Amino acid sequence: MFLEDVKVIENIQIADNYYLMRVEGKKIPQHSKPGQFFMLQCKDNSKVLRRPISLHNVDGNILEFYYEALGKGTKEFTQLSIGETINVQGPLGNGYDTDLKGKNIVVIGGGMGMAPIKYLIKDLKDNNDITFIGGGRNAGAVKIIEKFDFENIQLKVATDDGSVGIKGNTVDILKEVLKDQHIDIIYTCGPHPMMEAVAKVAQENNIRCQISLEERMACGIKACVGCSILTKKGMKKVCYDGPVFESTDIVDVDVVDPNGGCK
Amino acid sequence: MSNRLNISFLGKKLNNPIMTASGCFGYGLEYKNYFNPNELGAAVLKGITMEPRNGNPGTRIAETPSGMLNSVGLENPGIEEFKKLIPSIKKELNIPLVANINGKILEEYIEIAKEVEQIEEIEMVELNISCPNVKDGGMAFGANPEMARLVTREVRKVLSKPMIVKLSPNVTNIVEIAKIVEEEGANGVALINTLLGMAVDIRKRKPILGNIMGGLSGPAVKPVALRMIYQVSQAVSIPVLGMGGISSTEDAIEFIMVGASAISLGTGMFGNPTLPIEIKKGLEKYCIENNIENISEIVGAAHPDGGAAYRNRLGGNNEIKG
Ligand SMILES: Cc1cc2nc3c(=O)[nH]c(=O)nc-3n(C[C@H](O)[C@H](O)[C@H](O)COP(=O)(O)OP(=O)(O)OC[C@H]3O[C@@H](n4cnc5c(N)ncnc54)[C@H](O)[C@@H]3O)c2cc1C
Ligand SMILES: Cc1cc2nc3c(=O)[nH]c(=O)nc-3n(C[C@H](O)[C@H](O)[C@H](O)COP(=O)(O)O)c2cc1C
Ligand code: FES
Repeated sequence: MFLEDVKVIENIQIADNYYLMRVEGKKIPQHSKPGQFFMLQCKDNSKVLRRPISLHNVDGNILEFYYEALGKGTKEFTQLSIGETINVQGPLGNGYDTDLKGKNIVVIGGGMGMAPIKYLIKDLKDNNDITFIGGGRNAGAVKIIEKFDFENIQLKVATDDGSVGIKGNTVDILKEVLKDQHIDIIYTCGPHPMMEAVAKVAQENNIRCQISLEERMACGIKACVGCSILTKKGMKKVCYDGPVFESTDIVDVDVVDPNGGCK
Repeated sequence: MSNRLNISFLGKKLNNPIMTASGCFGYGLEYKNYFNPNELGAAVLKGITMEPRNGNPGTRIAETPSGMLNSVGLENPGIEEFKKLIPSIKKELNIPLVANINGKILEEYIEIAKEVEQIEEIEMVELNISCPNVKDGGMAFGANPEMARLVTREVRKVLSKPMIVKLSPNVTNIVEIAKIVEEEGANGVALINTLLGMAVDIRKRKPILGNIMGGLSGPAVKPVALRMIYQVSQAVSIPVLGMGGISSTEDAIEFIMVGASAISLGTGMFGNPTLPIEIKKGLEKYCIENNIENISEIVGAAHPDGGAAYRNRLGGNNEIKG
């Protein structure tokens, strides 16, 4: 596992609050998987927790993070200039199962859920047929797609306001795709309601589906039990057993223990 | 390595006074990719109960200014699973293991203490009467002096292992409760557990935590922890395990100077997973630079009498001269 001060080599605004940061380290682990994440440390000590950010891409000794400046920590990240260092810990969690050949795959990224998608497509595209569905609120939310590598990939884009691609959402497009094609697997990352909707469509069509979930995290390594969710296989840690789960293992994306408290 | 950091704590020889805070260090091996856990003085494991518990609904973590709230609610696999886990943990950890035990009702505390008494690999017990995140039991025991007396007394009857009672800071008079648990046979006290707090998501107009309230930890609680350890250590004759917001060597020294014989690291490790190693090196360096032969010489140094009376009461118990 990797815990190191890495050097920022690029930190650019993609659109609105969306940023892309590239960092370079001496001993970046070469065995990461798409869907895994890093915990990024804030410099300001009053922020006691690291921020979980997905691995957007790995290229030799370079890691890429695609992030949205939302709160205090991610806003601090936007201030990092080239040459500055940031302490990163990872890769953490499990990733998507990319050990596949000759499959028809749909990959769906929604908004910030686009973060792990670039790496995922890179890993899958040589051995499989991929349809990528990207969606977001507006043009800014899907701008990152321009930086993906789309050789031999079917691309479909939707925005809520119709400014890019069709006006609508990724689930509408998914349903269309399923009418025309046989799909073996769906991979997705995005906001909770989207995860639920995609999982439902997958289930109705009997298609294997891997979704990525988010929970607030403290340790990132199953030491604090802060990020647990209830699954059909019992309590699981999003940071360790996830963030990627088989959709059929998830009872209800938003529920931990309906009884609350101590059982 | 010199013996400057070696201490005797509750009759056990520890390589150094640095321990982990229960609930922040999993079951002992989670941090092994970042440092060798055998470098710790002892490992305090995640709290356990008789039955498995799912804990509280999410969201369970919220960051606050210089601190965090958690409402985990003692999610744990239960004692049976714990018993199965321990031998494999002990294979990799040759430092003392401390079990943190919890109950909802008095009988559960007694039952679990009996179980832990039987687990050979567990050398010490931290009796948690202060978890703010469970509806019944937990803090209710720690906040009420007579309940604290009862649970300590009854657990003592079935537990021969060294016992640290972990006190709740959510009380007006911590000294009174510390003295009571000492009277009832506690070999040490641990303080502080988390302070009850809350945070609100102003966008959703709702509390952030699923359980509404949670336990505050991290640097934000450090002044409270220092104050309580200072007060308690002047009133008791048993060692204090100090915790609450330690995130640097300087913090650790402050805790020792107000009266902690050993310290536990919790929230500080989330931001800095190699914190124990940093503090270990830092304490060693501090001792060398200040001609301190053994770290226990400065336990209570910030007391009005420089800690002499408290160290006397502790006896040579806290010190190994090498
Ligand atoms: C596995 C995983 C991967 C992620 N990958 C990305 C990514 O690649 N790009 C990206 O922009 N975002 C990603 N997120 C969400 C990102 O972690 C949060 O947006 C970020 O932590 C918010 O921090 P802040 O300081 O801006 O917000 P603040 O509100 O100031 O943060 C306060 C605290 O809440 C936590 N927090 C707030 N929102 C979230 C959230 N949605 N998920 C988890 N913790 C949160 C923070 O980590 C921090 O501890 C990911 C989350 C998870 C769990
Ligand atoms: C996520 C989390 C889980 C905790 N779980 C337990 C627990 O199971 N038993 C217990 O006695 N204390 C528990 N605590 C309290 C800590 O052991 C410690 O007393 C407290 O966090 C103060 O120290 P710190 O500021 O260094 O974290 C927990 C704290 C945190 C942050
Ligand atoms: S974040 Fe600590 S267990 Fe997942």
